[in-house]
Amino acid sequence: MSLTILTFLPVIGALVMLVFMRGRPSAYKTTALVTSIITLGVAIYLTATFDTGAGGFQFIEKHDWIPGLGISYHLGIDGISLLLVLLTTVLSVVAILGSWNSIKDRQLAFFISLLVLETGMLGVFVSMDLFLFYVFWEIQLVPMYFIIGLWGGARRVYAAIKFFLFTFVGSVLMLVAILAVVWWYAKNGGPLTFDILELQKAGFSGSLAIWSFIAFFIAFAIKVPMFPVHTWLPDAHTEAPTAGSVILAGVLLKMGVYGMIRFCIGFFPEVAVKAMVPVLILSAIAVVYGAIMSLVQPDMKRLVAYSSVSHMGFVTAGLFTFNQQGIEGSVLQMVNHGVLTGALFMMVGYFYDRTHTRLIKDYGGMAKPMPVAAAFFSLFVLGSLGLPGLSGFVGEFLILVGVFQYAKVFAVIASVGIILGAAYLLWMYQRTMFQQANEKWISLKDLSAREIVALVPLVGLTLWIGLYPHTFLNLLHAPAQNIISQVQPYLAEHGGSLAGLASSFFGGF
Amino acid sequence: MQAPDLIPVIPELILLVAACLVLLVEAFVKPGAADKGSPADKGAPAAADKTAVLAIALTGIIGSIVVSLALTGQDRVSFAGMLALDDWAVFFKVLFGLGAAITILMSPRFLEAHRRHLGEYYALLLFALIGMDLMAAARDFILLYVSLELMAISSYLLAAFFRYRERSNESALKYFLTGSFASAIMLYGISLVYAEAGATNYADAGRVLAGLGNDSGVLLAVFLVAIGLAFKVSAAPFHMWTPDVYQGAPTPVAAFFSVGPKAAAFSAIIAAFIVAFPGTVKEWGLLFIVLSIATMLVGNLWALVQTNIKRMLAFSSVAHAGYLLTGLGAMGWSGNSLPGRGMLVYLAAYTFMNLGAFGILAYLKTQMPDKFDYSLKQLAGLGRRSPWAAALLSLFLLSLTGIPGTAGFIGKFYVFSGVVWADLWWLAVIGVLLSAVSAYYYLRVIIYMFFKEPEEEYAIREPISGGMAMALSVSAIATLVIGLVPSWLWDAAVSAVRMLFD
Repeated sequence: MSLTILTFLPVIGALVMLVFMRGRPSAYKTTALVTSIITLGVAIYLTATFDTGAGGFQFIEKHDWIPGLGISYHLGIDGISLLLVLLTTVLSVVAILGSWNSIKDRQLAFFISLLVLETGMLGVFVSMDLFLFYVFWEIQLVPMYFIIGLWGGARRVYAAIKFFLFTFVGSVLMLVAILAVVWWYAKNGGPLTFDILELQKAGFSGSLAIWSFIAFFIAFAIKVPMFPVHTWLPDAHTEAPTAGSVILAGVLLKMGVYGMIRFCIGFFPEVAVKAMVPVLILSAIAVVYGAIMSLVQPDMKRLVAYSSVSHMGFVTAGLFTFNQQGIEGSVLQMVNHGVLTGALFMMVGYFYDRTHTRLIKDYGGMAKPMPVAAAFFSLFVLGSLGLPGLSGFVGEFLILVGVFQYAKVFAVIASVGIILGAAYLLWMYQRTMFQQANEKWISLKDLSAREIVALVPLVGLTLWIGLYPHTFLNLLHAPAQNIISQVQPYLAEHGGSLAGLASSFFGGF
Repeated sequence: MQAPDLIPVIPELILLVAACLVLLVEAFVKPGAADKGSPADKGAPAAADKTAVLAIALTGIIGSIVVSLALTGQDRVSFAGMLALDDWAVFFKVLFGLGAAITILMSPRFLEAHRRHLGEYYALLLFALIGMDLMAAARDFILLYVSLELMAISSYLLAAFFRYRERSNESALKYFLTGSFASAIMLYGISLVYAEAGATNYADAGRVLAGLGNDSGVLLAVFLVAIGLAFKVSAAPFHMWTPDVYQGAPTPVAAFFSVGPKAAAFSAIIAAFIVAFPGTVKEWGLLFIVLSIATMLVGNLWALVQTNIKRMLAFSSVAHAGYLLTGLGAMGWSGNSLPGRGMLVYLAAYTFMNLGAFGILAYLKTQMPDKFDYSLKQLAGLGRRSPWAAALLSLFLLSLTGIPGTAGFIGKFYVFSGVVWADLWWLAVIGVLLSAVSAYYYLRVIIYMFFKEPEEEYAIREPISGGMAMALSVSAIATLVIGLVPSWLWDAAVSAVRMLFD
């Protein structure tokens, strides 16, 4: 029951708000916050009772849903989903705190959207049934669409529909692939089932596996987003309200990588191994391209948005090395990126609330009127660029180790990305916080207590992961081993070397 | 001569009695004074109390639904094999009944607002419903033709119901002309079937035609019957009448057209083609695959450029016919009835979500009879002014888009599942990609309702009340229930299809 409670608690809170608290902002805002905190509490309880030693999925729940097609309501989590569940619940609390006063219009609808979105995201991470997964995957589009479209910036309508259509095109292709693998399995000796674990045993091969892999991969690559299907991201992130950007960057992008782990690798390990080289190439392009684009952005929010493209390039690169360090680093980096980019968006949001501009050139000398904000900002900037002792470093380091073992050239390219990352982040920090103070902002108020409280969990996670990552990596050993054991036979077959893989790739497709 | 077994037609007899009663009672309702209001409506009688008429019509429909449900599980053939009562017929009788009942519930205020609230309206709807019921129950081409004409002629009259308005007349005339051509083409096809097989009964014709294989005469017959029915489901390139007819017809009538006759035609196609043309499954399967691609393309692409919501929904209904046709194509291509189950689920889902969407338009028109012209711009700011109407319309549009949690997704899921099962995954890819295109024009309505401010003030009374509220809540609840717990509908579809083809 615990996973059901976790998943649907936010929606229940939203219903309570809708039915009983219309027209009473303080009541429904408090309810939204309390709901998200209780949900976080449930997630922490799950973490505490989670057995890290045992591999496989825990807290399993299974009930028939549409028995005629072998569809069931099947929930369960492993270490990877647990971490992402934690990330989701933390960022939801942060997002709600962060929008306390910055949303003025239709507040009730906004907080309801946030809670519904939380249920959708949690559902994606705990689903063990393909149909259920798809339902949650699509459902979270709707609240996000409204969050961007209703409460976003000047070009919000364009950004909202672009976000929706990009994701929707990818996911309908995935739907066909889902149907294809399910029917293939049912016709080739397996039961008619949408159960993810059952389907992982199916051993899809041949052209079915290749085409289905591609369909799944496109759907997830759009979400991550990988180069060249990233173009919805800068618009969506920039136009979304702060809470929307936090959730988008913090959690929604992770759903793409999570999907790759579960389906692209889980269902089609053979094809995934063949796809290593192209995925690494695309990731390397994303790392460098995202960083270069960040360098030239005049808009702070857009800069952070492009930095996501760069950072998510690290994540996909680490995942597709298929070694312990790469995979663990990749999952950990997802959490880091969620926390740090979420925090950066929060900071930009705080500044924007006060100045109503996001352009870097309008700022300058902000450290003077807002020293506390500048201090927090510096921590997150440093974390994001990978300063040792903060979380970003751990993830990037592990990924680099993983990639280096596999192919040095990619490790070199990725390191260039890190250097560029330091450049654009520090340069932005310098131009906004230091330099010539802008007269207009001299009397601005520093962060309020509520705003600081919203940042505290993010600071805590940044330091915790940075100083003692063992707590989190411990959750990842078993699932990482799982992934490696899935792909191991095919890796060995291809000799494991870059040259061998390259030839098998170009010969194989 | 043996007397025919009347049990299979009890639902239709109930409807017939109700229709006649409606006409009789109508004669005794005191008409209101002639209206001297707007010139377009000159001479039209003002509102009179039609509660009795409404009650009779609804009781008749509910009675026929209840009786149909009570007859579940039967397997009877009557009128010398012309007509059957089995779960297939029951499924459609209940579905058509619900569709008609929702239409009736959303009509009175709308008709009053246009000063055309006459009892004949309900009688015509009931006659059309009888025709639809018989189409689903028909096991003989002659009965199919007769019941289709009953449905069609009632529909032409309904389209012309606002006879003072040019558009309504245009709508009816177009519907009548194209419909007559379609019927004639189909009738010619039926005559060829008779010429080839010497029988008009589906099963008898099927036995003979199976032996003939894909003889050119058979192919021509199949082709002509298919074209005739393709008109009725508004498959491209035979869809041209759809937008004009829907736009001109009174909105509740357009709502009814978009679901009732279309679903009836699909029920007839599935039953007739699988049973009567088993020897040419590949050929007609291919025909419907081609039609489905054309229909999905035309419907979705034309819907993209509409600025009138009623026309947009008309093209969207063409697109939905396209999705349904993929299921039909898969049935033929695989020679198996399995993809047909998904079509039944889709038809049920589509009935509720589309009636709901049109219902909101009817509601808005009722509130602003002179001002509202169904242009997209006029929906701007609806989310603030009329949050319930906007929220419900969003639900129906999201369902039409195929977002999980709604009936529309379940329908698409089942239909495309059947298509992929038949190894036509490329057809499913075309279908889902075009349904991603459809997201744009459905979401655009939501953009106007919620993300844009209105150009001028308009007054809408909320909450929605009376029959419209019932119609909309039934549609909305059905949309959600089918979306969340679809297995009962799936089971019903499975047993319906099994009854027909085993």
